[in-house]
Amino acid sequence: METAPKDTIDQALAALAEAFPRRFEAAETEQALRDENAKILGKKGELTAILKELGKAPPESRKAIGEKVNVLKRDVEARFEERLRAIEKKRRDADLSARPFDLTLPGRVPAHRGHKHPINAVREDVIAIFAGLGFAVHDGPDVELEENNFGKLGYPPDHPATDMQDTFWTTDGHLLRSHTSNIQVRAMSLQKPPMAFIAPGSVFRRDDDATHSPMFHQLEAFLVDRRVSMAHLRGVLSEFATRLYGPGTPVRLRPSYFPFVEPGAEVDIGCVFCRKADGTRAGCSLCKHTGWIEILGCGMIHPVVFEACGIDSEEWTGFALGMGLERIAMLRYGIPNIKLFFENDPRFLAQF
Amino acid sequence: MRASYGWLKSLVPGLTASPADVAERLTRAGIAVDTTHEHGAAAAVCVVAEVASIRPHPTKSGLRLVTVRHGAGEQEVVCGAPNVPEPGGLVVLAPLGAHLPAKGVTIERRTIAGVASEGMLCSEAELGLSEAGEGILVLPKGAAKPGQKLAEVFPEAHDFVYEIDLTPNRPDCLGHLGLAREISALYNLPFVLPEHGVAPASAETMAALGVAVEVRDAARCPHYGAALVRGVTVAPSPLGTQWRLAALGVRAISNVVDVTNLLMLLWGHPMHAFDLAHVRKKKIVVRLAEAGERIRTLDGVDRELVADDLLICDGEGPVALAGVMGGADSEIKASTRDVLFEVAYFDPRSVRRTARRHGMHTESSHRFERGVDRGDVARVLAHATSLTASLSPGARAAADVIHAAAPAPAPARVALRRSRMDALLGVAVPWADACAVLERLGFAKDADGAGDAATFAVPTHRPDVTREVDLVEEVIRTHGMDHVPAELPAIHPTRPVGGSEERARRARAAAVELGLSEAVTYAFTSTAGLEALGAPKPSVVLKNPIVDHHQVMRTSLLPGLLAAVKNAKNHGVRDATLFTVGSVYLASNPGALPAEPLWLAALLAGDRPAYLTKPSAYDAWDATGLAVALVERLAGRAPTIQRESFPHLHPRGSAGLYLDGVRVGRAGPLHPDVRDFFEVTEAAVVVEIDLEKVGEPRLPAYRALPRFPASARDVALVVHDDVPAGDVLGVVREAAGPLAEDVAIFDRFVGGAIPPEHASLAFRVVYRAPDRTLTDAEVDAAHAKVVAAAEARFSATLRR
Repeated sequence: METAPKDTIDQALAALAEAFPRRFEAAETEQALRDENAKILGKKGELTAILKELGKAPPESRKAIGEKVNVLKRDVEARFEERLRAIEKKRRDADLSARPFDLTLPGRVPAHRGHKHPINAVREDVIAIFAGLGFAVHDGPDVELEENNFGKLGYPPDHPATDMQDTFWTTDGHLLRSHTSNIQVRAMSLQKPPMAFIAPGSVFRRDDDATHSPMFHQLEAFLVDRRVSMAHLRGVLSEFATRLYGPGTPVRLRPSYFPFVEPGAEVDIGCVFCRKADGTRAGCSLCKHTGWIEILGCGMIHPVVFEACGIDSEEWTGFALGMGLERIAMLRYGIPNIKLFFENDPRFLAQF
Repeated sequence: MRASYGWLKSLVPGLTASPADVAERLTRAGIAVDTTHEHGAAAAVCVVAEVASIRPHPTKSGLRLVTVRHGAGEQEVVCGAPNVPEPGGLVVLAPLGAHLPAKGVTIERRTIAGVASEGMLCSEAELGLSEAGEGILVLPKGAAKPGQKLAEVFPEAHDFVYEIDLTPNRPDCLGHLGLAREISALYNLPFVLPEHGVAPASAETMAALGVAVEVRDAARCPHYGAALVRGVTVAPSPLGTQWRLAALGVRAISNVVDVTNLLMLLWGHPMHAFDLAHVRKKKIVVRLAEAGERIRTLDGVDRELVADDLLICDGEGPVALAGVMGGADSEIKASTRDVLFEVAYFDPRSVRRTARRHGMHTESSHRFERGVDRGDVARVLAHATSLTASLSPGARAAADVIHAAAPAPAPARVALRRSRMDALLGVAVPWADACAVLERLGFAKDADGAGDAATFAVPTHRPDVTREVDLVEEVIRTHGMDHVPAELPAIHPTRPVGGSEERARRARAAAVELGLSEAVTYAFTSTAGLEALGAPKPSVVLKNPIVDHHQVMRTSLLPGLLAAVKNAKNHGVRDATLFTVGSVYLASNPGALPAEPLWLAALLAGDRPAYLTKPSAYDAWDATGLAVALVERLAGRAPTIQRESFPHLHPRGSAGLYLDGVRVGRAGPLHPDVRDFFEVTEAAVVVEIDLEKVGEPRLPAYRALPRFPASARDVALVVHDDVPAGDVLGVVREAAGPLAEDVAIFDRFVGGAIPPEHASLAFRVVYRAPDRTLTDAEVDAAHAKVVAAAEARFSATLRR
């Protein structure tokens, strides 16, 4: 009886060793293979059952049987892994060689793209340029006192200069600011020079036709310091033109009139539409064949403004420049009509 | 303002520069020439011809065959005009090859009803000289020799006309004389006032003739000049004068009226001509109107006046609105014999107020508002009388001229310091050049003005110059702004971007990141729209809106977005995902400026984007989801959503957004009544956020990453469907205890095996301990409490 269990165990191990590779080969799927593996190595598996018989074997043979069991177990495990890889490879090969996906179907968009309004895209770019030059950003109210919009800026009462800016008045006797220069007045009344700041915002004029919108946007820049000169104004303008429109953009000043600056000028840049590779300009309908396009107005801050704000106009000088953001955006993107900005057609907005 | 190159050239005799060059120089000096138009180009190629003979056309009764002599011979042309003069009369022939730009034709050989014609007899319109006249142009006998070019005989017939866009500070350039002065200064040519003859005068003075002027308001009318020309014959002006006026956009009327227009265009000083026979009592009174007084002006409008309007009256009543327009009754007529000319200086502000009050803008008010030359009254009057007399043989001026004038103020004297000028410009302009150009512009330099400073007397034609900087501008605009170099300033470091601009930028970035497109909408809107939204009553009301529906400043951003949605729908675009950032205008203290808090409003209209399935309309959860996403990006933390009723939102989906107990916004589907009002047909949900209440974003604070694994457990609870999912979630979170790191609802199911009026809510609870790996037993124990609590609180059952 002593040898019987050993022989039985040996036979069972031999049978299992002989049979399991075929059983693994027969499993076609990962699940079938795992099931088969569990039948052998699981808690109630065949090898586990054999192992339970080990106690019945003679003590001297137990070690040998134990080694056999372990060898078989390692074989099973190795075969299992091998077969698993084969099944996985087969599955992967099948997947890789199956019919391609229909990539002509539209892609699934993770999140729809949003768009800044072109006026504000330009506004942020221009602010970044001036911020880079050291200018701070100030703001001020849209509904304003007359003196901040006109009086302190040197507009005489009942003067035709105010015709340049036909103004909306409120029933309270206030007005909708007709330019962002009110911010200049406010900032200079509150702070002491030196100061360098820009003032972006909405402005309002009673004009509504093909080339005017009753609301539009301006951005002004101011520098006040000791001995600020027109050459500094020109320097900042050139830097601005270079950063916004690229190197080599020429800037020219044409004398003009704004009550709050003296001398005052309009600023033209070399036409951005008909510029040729060599830097010359062919002339086009957009620049009326002059090669120049007007982009902003500027000048040296009028002493009257300094005096109205309590700043000594002998000690301090400064410049102011102001642009219409719609115009800058129109030039930048080739937008032909100011009305498009305020219709907010989704098809328009999605272009920028 | 239109200006004639030919006229300017005659005022600056040394000028040789081309019309284009003059236009460019003026523009670069701040006198912006917008366009240059060639006037009467045909006059340079068409020739004067003398009618030799006329015979009827063989077949056409309306046509005649006219043989003309044109210096180099004779030729026959076919003419249909009724006014061909008798032989010996002078006409204008467009020879073969002549181009007539006014009609866009070039004269070619052609056959008219069987007769060859090799030229055309021209009308004034065909020559581009004026709109006036019927038939061909007939020149006065003896005016020219046959064969002469028309432009040689009448220099005014061929000209270059500038359209000048003058800034309001330069009234002096509203006359050719001022422009000529500019040109003289720019080209360094001598400038002289135009010569004109002296009118033959009678012995009688104005007083002797019974003419009197009384100015009762010397502040409004510091100078009233009047001159009289008697024995005038009213007739058409000479052709050259007519054509010059036509080129400058003024219709020729008669020799007397044309004198006033011509001199206004020359001197920039408007004037008026009265028929003395209609000046009652031969008396002119300048006074303020009485409230309610009336005048019928030349344009035929009957106007009621206020006490601020300055009037020119005769001995009985108003005859003109001073500086704006004459009255209908005193105009020059064909029968006029005695003409009383008025040249005055009116207070610019007074003229402007009257013109604006009555909605009038005339050539006269335009000039007076800007300030005419107070010092030229006598010169202009003298020019008017001499020119009138020369155009009306036999006419004689009175022996004197009336000046009702307050003492002229002493000329302003402005000092210019060389150092200040150079510092302001950033370039050193040669001092002698600067002084010289100022003198050419009419500024008289003090004799002792040597060295590096000088004082200049401001001439009366430059009322805009009052300070040193004005002189600096004169110097640099004439010297050339191109001389100013470009120099980057050293800028003191200043506070970076902040305030509402930065707040708006962040809001914009957040909304764009979430896939919305930015709209820029008008700040004004309609009261009705705000009412329909239940928005605060507008406190800022425009006194002069352009259109009624833009009459108040908005108290909500939604009308603009809704208008965009409606507009898009009209263009066939149903879906819109828009946002806008802007101020609303809310009442503050009485009399004070309104508060202008910055808001963001977003609107989703139409269908949510779907992938290869039928899309579905936006609903309440799009609103809350967008609201949470926006506030999270702006504040650095999510808001709580509280059911709260707002009048413009659908009552079933209306929610307030709260941060730390403060309401920062609202979200939900639009109320259907609001959609109806704004004609929005698609489903629409909105989110509105008060950006000031949201405040600055919290800086993220680092939290240590977990070092031990988490265990997740799912549980599906069946509850009555009137139980808010959020309440169940709250109970689940609380019951799951401190080990529950995250609780989320991931499925909601109704129907199937779920009892009626019930819903299955599935939650995933993630358990984790910061200091160890949780055992299954610990997790199971915690999770068991979830089910128990839900059962106890909501009679929930476990879905199996």
